[in-house]
Amino acid sequence: MNTAFSSSRICGLARVCLALLTLTIPAKAQRDAKIPDPDPEIERKSFIVAPGFEVNLFAADPMLAKPIQMNWDARGRLWLATSETYPQIKPGQTPNDKIIILEDTNNDGVADKTEVFADGLLIPTAVLPGDGGAYVANSTEIIHLSQSKPGIKADKKRVVLSGFGTEDTHHLIHTFRWGPDGAMYFNQSVYIHSHVETPHGTKRLNGGGIWRYEPRTQKLEVFARGFWNPWGLQFDKYGQMFATDGANGEGIVHVIPGASYPTGGNQAPRVLHGMNPGSPKFCGLEIVSGRHFPDDWQGDCITNDFRGHRVCRFKLRDAGSTFESREMTEVIKSNHPAFRPIDVSIGPDGALYIADWYNPIIQHGEVDFRDPRRDKTHGRIWRVTAKGRPLVERPKLANATFEQLIEASKAPEAWTRSMVRRQFAESSSENVAYRLFKLTPAQDDHSLLEYFLINANAGVSHAPMMAALFEMKDERYRATIPQLLTNLMRTEKSLQRDLVEEDLLQKLLTDASPRFRLGMLRALTVDPSAATAAAALKVLDKPTDPTLEYALWLTLRELQNHWIPAFKEGKFDYGNDIKKLSFALEAVQSPETIPALSQLIAKNANTPHRPALQLLMAKMGGSEELAEMIEGIDRDPITERLALMTAIEQSIASRRLPKPKTAVDVRLRVQALLKPSNESQEAIDRLLVKIAGHWKLTGLRPDLEQLAVATSGANREVAVSALAEFGDAESKVKLTEWATQAQEPILRILAIKALASIDLSRAAKLTTSLFVEGGSEESAALLINEFVNRKNGAAILAKALESKTIRSDLAKVGLRAVRNSPNPSPALTEALTKAGSLGAAKKEPTAAEIKALAVDALKLGDAARGELVYRRKEIQCMACHAINGAGGQVGPDLTSIGASAQTDYLVDSLLLPNKAIKEGYHTVDVTTAAGRIHSGVKVREAGGELVLRDKDDKEITLKLDDIETRRAGRTLMPDGTVESLTRAELLDLVRFLGELGKVGAYEPGKAPLVRTWRMAEATPENMNLFRRERVGVAAEKPAAVTWSAAYSRVNGELPLADVATVTTFKGVAPQSVMQFKIAVSSAGDLKLAVNSPDGLAAYIDGTAVALDKPIPVTVGDKVVTLIVNREKRQTALRMTLDDSGTARARIVGGK
Amino acid sequence: MVALLALLPFTASAPPFELKDGDRVVWIGSAIAEREQKYGYWETALLCQWPDLKITFRNLGWSGDTVEGIARASFDPPAKGYERLIKAVKDEKPTVIFVSYGSVEALEKNADPVKFEKQLEKLLEDLSPTKARVVLFSPTPSEPDSLTGPHGGTGQPREEVTQAFSVKFHTQAVGAVAERGGHRFADLHTQLMKNAKLNGYTFTDNGLHYSEAGYEGTIPDFLTSLGISWAGEEPKRFDAVRKAVLKKNELYFHKYRPQNETYLFGFRKHEQGKNAAEVKELEKMIEAADRDIQKQLSQSR
Repeated sequence: MNTAFSSSRICGLARVCLALLTLTIPAKAQRDAKIPDPDPEIERKSFIVAPGFEVNLFAADPMLAKPIQMNWDARGRLWLATSETYPQIKPGQTPNDKIIILEDTNNDGVADKTEVFADGLLIPTAVLPGDGGAYVANSTEIIHLSQSKPGIKADKKRVVLSGFGTEDTHHLIHTFRWGPDGAMYFNQSVYIHSHVETPHGTKRLNGGGIWRYEPRTQKLEVFARGFWNPWGLQFDKYGQMFATDGANGEGIVHVIPGASYPTGGNQAPRVLHGMNPGSPKFCGLEIVSGRHFPDDWQGDCITNDFRGHRVCRFKLRDAGSTFESREMTEVIKSNHPAFRPIDVSIGPDGALYIADWYNPIIQHGEVDFRDPRRDKTHGRIWRVTAKGRPLVERPKLANATFEQLIEASKAPEAWTRSMVRRQFAESSSENVAYRLFKLTPAQDDHSLLEYFLINANAGVSHAPMMAALFEMKDERYRATIPQLLTNLMRTEKSLQRDLVEEDLLQKLLTDASPRFRLGMLRALTVDPSAATAAAALKVLDKPTDPTLEYALWLTLRELQNHWIPAFKEGKFDYGNDIKKLSFALEAVQSPETIPALSQLIAKNANTPHRPALQLLMAKMGGSEELAEMIEGIDRDPITERLALMTAIEQSIASRRLPKPKTAVDVRLRVQALLKPSNESQEAIDRLLVKIAGHWKLTGLRPDLEQLAVATSGANREVAVSALAEFGDAESKVKLTEWATQAQEPILRILAIKALASIDLSRAAKLTTSLFVEGGSEESAALLINEFVNRKNGAAILAKALESKTIRSDLAKVGLRAVRNSPNPSPALTEALTKAGSLGAAKKEPTAAEIKALAVDALKLGDAARGELVYRRKEIQCMACHAINGAGGQVGPDLTSIGASAQTDYLVDSLLLPNKAIKEGYHTVDVTTAAGRIHSGVKVREAGGELVLRDKDDKEITLKLDDIETRRAGRTLMPDGTVESLTRAELLDLVRFLGELGKVGAYEPGKAPLVRTWRMAEATPENMNLFRRERVGVAAEKPAAVTWSAAYSRVNGELPLADVATVTTFKGVAPQSVMQFKIAVSSAGDLKLAVNSPDGLAAYIDGTAVALDKPIPVTVGDKVVTLIVNREKRQTALRMTLDDSGTARARIVGGK
Repeated sequence: MVALLALLPFTASAPPFELKDGDRVVWIGSAIAEREQKYGYWETALLCQWPDLKITFRNLGWSGDTVEGIARASFDPPAKGYERLIKAVKDEKPTVIFVSYGSVEALEKNADPVKFEKQLEKLLEDLSPTKARVVLFSPTPSEPDSLTGPHGGTGQPREEVTQAFSVKFHTQAVGAVAERGGHRFADLHTQLMKNAKLNGYTFTDNGLHYSEAGYEGTIPDFLTSLGISWAGEEPKRFDAVRKAVLKKNELYFHKYRPQNETYLFGFRKHEQGKNAAEVKELEKMIEAADRDIQKQLSQSR
């Protein structure tokens, strides 16, 4: 290979080149105004920097172009993976992407030397110096590159691992990091499917996740699963792992070994979440450490909102077994359209370095691969320093002696400590091992941990120091030990035996630190046995939190092949604690455990444990067990029956349990529905009617027919549905009779709807005759929906409508149903248009019209007015989309949409929702064996079930065995959403969306504000309740109230004008009843801050509280109720969680 | 280039393997096949046997793949991977199919050579409509960990003994399928074990996969397993041919497994599907690269 291109003092030249480049820009800029002037100084001046800090340019094009990831070597040189080929190689093009090394040889904070370490690479998405060269992500492989002599380009290449997928070039494996344990960690994004052969077997990961690789042993494992784009990974001072995700919008994530996190097409039935729901996409992650940064920055997370041109800062606080994360003022924010911070790292001098991808275009899904606006030549590294604070003296580690390295390991800078560990990892020899063995480390926690990590990196046994590690006083240090040991135990068997030694286990699982207990739980899976599973349950003896419970759930599942057999033989020692056993059984939901569970229920017939065990059986049991429970329901306490029967019915329906062999007699209960009784008993009896339908208990036919004719409302509906479920000739005759002859219109409609499941053609004919006769809009919506959601339904109905005439309003309602269906049928659209004598369907807007709208939105649109349009009830934006985490979850979160999407893309998305669909928002269209069509975004696929989220934000669970066809569908966003808007309103809306995420009034919110509310509207049911009892009952019995959603504005205020009022009696002041949720992860005092206390009365879970005082709370979800006296208050509501409380809590957002 | 070694015929009875004019060889298998395309030594050594004939290779090897085609499923259920494997082979209209499976299966925790044997037979049955001649390569032996790795090895024991047996059983399974089906069996395992005993283990850098030097160093073994003796090749021509082979393989890889497939052909093709035309452009380039290989083969002859 050629000698390296190496140029010292290139910066002067760089500036000249830049000046020349800017001269050529006007010509280019005329072609498209969005390409900014690339002068780095113009970009730098656009930065709004955190107070007390400043930014300088460390390096810029032409020293480098298109940086993706950066990592440091022990000499203090900055290695960059760069790609000009991204997003896609051209046919026949020889890829020539580079690994570049930047060096600041004179310590002036500006790179003065650049070296091309390697070229000829294809979209290298990561680089990590180590083992005498560097590990590089190169498409399907991880390669190790090195030089046969210094100063030349890498000429030695070793394929380390291969078989990584390339389904998406911004998902390729990325984010290489050395872990504190000496392993290499790297991440994979959601579209990638990898099949990696190693000497220890083939490892596979389909979807996102975090890999862990030990170069020393060549062991590769999946460390955590999930994520969309986990583009950030870092370890804190104590060894805890954190990640960020470039799509999931949950901010900083605390990563637990073996856990799953949300992602498209998740395989896991349960996941852990990030700590900042409602965040924009993030890329990169660094944790502040070192003397150059002020004390109040230590341990803070820095990541990049690359779409919103921001470098963000988060503060972590301990919260039980996990953490709580709160966003602070940005490190940098900017409105420069090409500033794209994508990696962040503290350097050897203690300053913060930021890699700037520099590009006006970022995505490659929505924007053409070959869009000329894509920048291929620029790239910057920015350097952030604290004004007036001394820099850290660059440690000299490259040729340091053993003693010097041990001394350096005491440094407060994570940079130095990690480089020291690398030195030990790379120079491991018997001599070093012996010297480490002989060394007596200082006994403070920090030194002890570092000594342990050095040993781990050097490949030296750590068994002798285990006892000391477990005795560390600072629980933050101690807490990480089990996790680090787990990683190492896999290769060191003696350690494993020591750790699971029984007395020690007992002690460790009840350690005072919940994070330590969590680590121990995960460590138990290294030595799988029934005994370790039983030991794991001991964690329940101490207070738990959701993360700890997740870890227990996961551990019990991983150990199930060991403890389930023991349980079946009555040998599983759960300490005779039903709570523990229920947790274990519920975790695995295995049919194998049913017989033993039955015995247990019999044994507990008269104990308070029975309901919990029964509920478990309802979820897991087979037909026979459930039949027995139905027969014996009267033996259960009255208060538990409804919940139990609901679980039984859901179980039968969703698991499609067949009719039991033993007879079930529910006739008396079905007949009881003919007479009014109490609400809860009626609800139970209706569930029995449903079960009769599922199990085709045709003996009940006369009773059901009587019920359908003689009752109304829900009772009638379930009876008709159950008859339809029989699906036989007799049902068909009866339903046809009602459909044509019933006196009551509603019975006719219900009968037709039910018939559709048996005989679509007949139902279609009956539907058209109903419409021809007249029929209501309501009936049209109901019936046409039934057809469009059935296989061939639309075509059959279209045929039946031929040469018929119906009222135009019916046709309009029908067209809306068609438009909102998974696959709008052109035939049915045409048939309805014709039958209703409507004009031709609206034409799609042309490209020119879209362009004109985009231009006018910027010229004439008004964001403030646009927000009001966005909040309008009839357009329903908030039902599906969230801003700052508040709103529906059906569509993408819009927090920073304006900062990432071009205006024409926004117009497109509003007018032609199917043209470009956001990652992860494609529907899956499914036809079931029963001929039902379902459409929704995939939530997860696990345990033989597919879970979709439909357009109403509801989860639909489908059995995989029941799915006949399945294909990728469209978006859930209905066509014609904005049809009712005037042009001016549309321009305002586009402008508002275009401002979201940009610096200014609509930038992403950092304060922990209440944004998702629910309010009681003056519905007859609510008014009855409030008059019968009182308004305050809403705080005590929230379930009795009918709620509707309300959301704060982007600025955090909820205008009272948008909140419903209730006036109970004449002369009483109108009031508003509102609620929001708080998730408390660690008990203590909670403080809520409100802009003004005027007219407010507050309750937490039914207890009145004073808002100006700390409120003691326990762990769990809390409902806060506010009752607003509208005569005393006109000011908008703005409510914040105050940081100074001792409780750890988070405002619950979402819908 | 490659040292001349004392070579033994494959078996006493089997005549040397032959490729014919116009042959299209499609190579399927796991990483051992996939990585060959990046180095090209084995392919080039074979081409150099018949420099005047028009022979083309298409390498469909895929890391982690099994006889079930599991690594090719991408977003779909595993069964789809198998369908894709069969279709990809058929699309290339092979006259010869090289099959390099068994390495992945042999290292599985619950390795099952019997199941492997059955599935390999099914694979061949499903490929039989191509009427191609089939060559079944055995898996290659694992090298002990102690001589490998970035640190010059850890000396840590691996499940070597079990692995060694498993690889052997899978080799026997391939042999059995070959015998029953009347296919050519290229027993790389036996050949390489023999060589390893003579020369030490030096072909892999992770105990499993051949390095660049490994593919080069095993040319004689590879050819011997096919009953072909290797007297070396004029280095200049070999290098020129290999360079042309690598170019063709790279172009073909981008056509067969393009990056961003999700957007070009997958469920997001409505967004970037228009760029799929670029992948089509590669077909002509691959044909030209094939012609260049021929040119390099015939030159300086």
